[in-house]
Amino acid sequence: MKNSQRVVRLFIILFFIGLLDFNTVYAQNTANCDCFVKGVVKDRETNLPIVGAVLTIKNTSKVTTTDTDGHYKFDRLCQGSYVLECKIIGYKTTRTTIALQHSAEENLNLSEDEVHLQDVEIVARRVTSLTQPSGSLQNQSLEQTRGQTLAEALQKIVGVTMLQTGASIAKPVIHGLHSNRILIINNGIRQEGQQWGSEHAPEIDPFIAKRLTVVKGAAGVRYGSDAIGGVILVEPAELPYTIGSIRGELNTVGFTNGRTGVVSGTFEGGLKKWKGFGWRLQGTLKNGGNIRTPDYFLANTGVREQNFSAAAGYRSVKFGAEVFYSQFHTNLGIFSGSHIGSTSDLLSVIQNGEPFIKADFNRAIERPNQLVDHDLLKIKAYRQFSGNRLSLTLGRQHNQRAEYDLHGPQAALKPALLFRITTLTGDMVLEHKPIAKEITGQIGFSGLHQYNFTDGRPLIPDFEQSNAGAFVIERWIRQKWEWEAGLRYDMRWLQVYRFIGQTLDQRNHQFNSWSGTVGSVFNANSHLSVRANFGTGWRPPSVNELYSKGVHHGAAAYEEGSESLRPETAYNLMGNVEYTSERFSAEIGLYHNSIQNFIYLKPQSEPILTIRGAFPYFKYVQTNATFSGADVTTEWNITPRWEHTAKISYLRAYDQAANDYLVAIPANRIENGLRYKIGTVIHSHDSFVSIGHLWVDQQKRVPPNSDFMPPPSAYHLWSIQVGGDIILTEKQKITWGIMGQNLFDTAYRDYLNRFRYYSIEQGRNFSLRLKWIF
Amino acid sequence: MKPAHSLLTITLAFTITAVIWSCGTKEAPAPEDENELITTVRLTFTEDGTTTPQKFEWKDLDGDGGNAPTTSRITLKASRSYKVDVEFLDESKTPTDNITDEVREEGDEHLVVLTPTPSSLFTYTASDKDSRNFPIGLSGTVATGSINQGLLRLQLRHQPPVNGQSVKNGTVAPGSDDVNITFDVVVAP
Repeated sequence: MKNSQRVVRLFIILFFIGLLDFNTVYAQNTANCDCFVKGVVKDRETNLPIVGAVLTIKNTSKVTTTDTDGHYKFDRLCQGSYVLECKIIGYKTTRTTIALQHSAEENLNLSEDEVHLQDVEIVARRVTSLTQPSGSLQNQSLEQTRGQTLAEALQKIVGVTMLQTGASIAKPVIHGLHSNRILIINNGIRQEGQQWGSEHAPEIDPFIAKRLTVVKGAAGVRYGSDAIGGVILVEPAELPYTIGSIRGELNTVGFTNGRTGVVSGTFEGGLKKWKGFGWRLQGTLKNGGNIRTPDYFLANTGVREQNFSAAAGYRSVKFGAEVFYSQFHTNLGIFSGSHIGSTSDLLSVIQNGEPFIKADFNRAIERPNQLVDHDLLKIKAYRQFSGNRLSLTLGRQHNQRAEYDLHGPQAALKPALLFRITTLTGDMVLEHKPIAKEITGQIGFSGLHQYNFTDGRPLIPDFEQSNAGAFVIERWIRQKWEWEAGLRYDMRWLQVYRFIGQTLDQRNHQFNSWSGTVGSVFNANSHLSVRANFGTGWRPPSVNELYSKGVHHGAAAYEEGSESLRPETAYNLMGNVEYTSERFSAEIGLYHNSIQNFIYLKPQSEPILTIRGAFPYFKYVQTNATFSGADVTTEWNITPRWEHTAKISYLRAYDQAANDYLVAIPANRIENGLRYKIGTVIHSHDSFVSIGHLWVDQQKRVPPNSDFMPPPSAYHLWSIQVGGDIILTEKQKITWGIMGQNLFDTAYRDYLNRFRYYSIEQGRNFSLRLKWIF
Repeated sequence: MKPAHSLLTITLAFTITAVIWSCGTKEAPAPEDENELITTVRLTFTEDGTTTPQKFEWKDLDGDGGNAPTTSRITLKASRSYKVDVEFLDESKTPTDNITDEVREEGDEHLVVLTPTPSSLFTYTASDKDSRNFPIGLSGTVATGSINQGLLRLQLRHQPPVNGQSVKNGTVAPGSDDVNITFDVVVAP
């Protein structure tokens, strides 16, 4: 082990020495001041040109605005790296880094115009919120997460961590909140599965997304009041309305750990005869076997995934419509060593220090496993009239989740638990034309109807649920100030059908309340902006919190709901300072989320005696909880080629009623990255190499005696990445990347892995990514 | 189309679609069906040389939670030998579902373990064997010690193959508990 670490270190050092040599050769280019940048600014949604957007090149005096076709042009620029800023009311300010740089050899065959020209298409998005902090993954940052699950990918955003159930199941956690307290908006539709379960991973193929955004904090007004922890937006690329030919991309990713292979392809195009028509077909296949930790394989941790989606749409200036269908299918193996029948089984595994069940590499998925299917059909249409825009979105989702236990004495082919949930959603949003040229906003109505059937072992009852909401958000931008305010009202009806013995018992619940948001941005100068936001949200208790009753296998706990729970209400205050300059940028975000009637599982003094022995007894109760923390990100271009990034997230969660800490809160962490831009090596352009280090502290803030074992110790993980682009032809490109995670094969456990009692985490994992764009 | 018209058309189309959309046929809720429930564990002791069986039961008819389980106290005579049979029943079903036969059929992945505390209370020797000649433990003999009292832990271990390989080795360690209960035991003169 030690020798291999030394070899790896030596390689890294040699590699960097090699890179420094390259650097000196490349620095000998001569400057040229005849470069220009031109482009077009378009609305990301409608693809229509944006008139009157203000463009500035940071740290220069150059300013221009877009013409009636959305075009702009800057000329007489010297070679170099610039930050192009684009600003207009109702849209988020974008900053694009453009590198006007070419090596002399390469330019020889090109015409004079193309040598120093860079065509930049700025795609502006109507913003979710101007004043609320958010983070997103797109382009290269998203590229680097290909092949990973949604939750793994989102971890790259500061303030976002994940809750795992073994090596195969992960859910995103935003500022310490997860499951029912965050919303996932998949292609404009709120994802509805069995989110309440911590072992229920989001049923989304990340390859659908062109962009993943996390809106942090209570964002209830626009997306639904229950988004008290935040919102995850999974956004696909626009349909290719303007191209006449077929294009596409093929992604392949291979991981050494689990010998996982992922293939994902996209084909898309328009029709020459039908202008404004676009279509897309996309599919993903994933196959992985047993995951290896530094010391042993984890039996039955394979995964099989088959997903596809199809979309078609039509768009003109005044009208547009789109149909989208996607299917997600996964078979997830659950680590065999995590199956326990009783508390004494759990205690003996913990005492043993490693799983009793050992395995070799194997692809077979046996029980316990989960078979999950998710279907989504979406229809969206919009119409523009006299500066207003009305859009309607309908969605129908069906989620089927079959959970197979390691069966008991009665061998049955049926799953131990089968959930089938159908959800219909409808949203109508009117974006009105600017009032007095300064106030933009939207008014919307949303409805939801859903019904759920649970078969098998008693856990949650069947239920039917309806939701109706109305909201308004207005934004005002004046000079250096941007203001935002919104209000929403929601009503929810819940009918629960339980069986007491063989008799059907129907219970009705009704909840309704207001939520609101108010915020402001102050753009002090081109370098500094300060934002503040206060948002509220509320979440009615979910069916599992009201009615669940039974032993939670894997957690070795008997959990019981309570019918008398009231909704939770969140009051979330956030402040953000953003500093940007050519060489250094930093963002510091502070938050304080106070949740009244916070629902959690409280340990009861007496255990519950069952046929499998005594289990600790937990009941859903309410308290007042606070989540306070900070997210810090810095980016420092030390030299044009060297770049350092750092991310710090700090969180402290407290139970105000019990005067104690809350359980299952992610530990504080610091992540550092050092990146070297190599430029062109052989045929690979924009090549880079980067090393990363992640430090996760031990979670010391836990209530005493709240767990079967103390929170795991702090850990350090190292990673390395190399990548670049190979241009094949004008339209064809290959993007490649090699990544090594947990480089030194560190044995560690994570506090937010529910299987931390049973095994250590994944060991070293190398991956190769290839993306062919054609 | 005038804006007002188009607005009306869209709203109308929306409403109609929404109505059609939500008019799916829906099934009626059905009671839960737990296919793995064991409500009752019955121990039948027959003293050697007699034909009168003594039955002792551990019962939790409403499953996990709800009403607490009931247990009968096992009373045996000192320094005797008994034939013992273990039965697993689901008495929440009508008629009662006897799970014992299934445990026996899947004997290769099940093991019944009887652990007395203190260990001098009695010794248990299983008399049944699975296909690989390991004990199953559903029937056996108990030889009691001297006058004493203590506890009996009864476990039904589920020891299914892992990655196609048998793990049952006659010891309690592999697998997980399907049953893990405790009886009071009195060994009287």
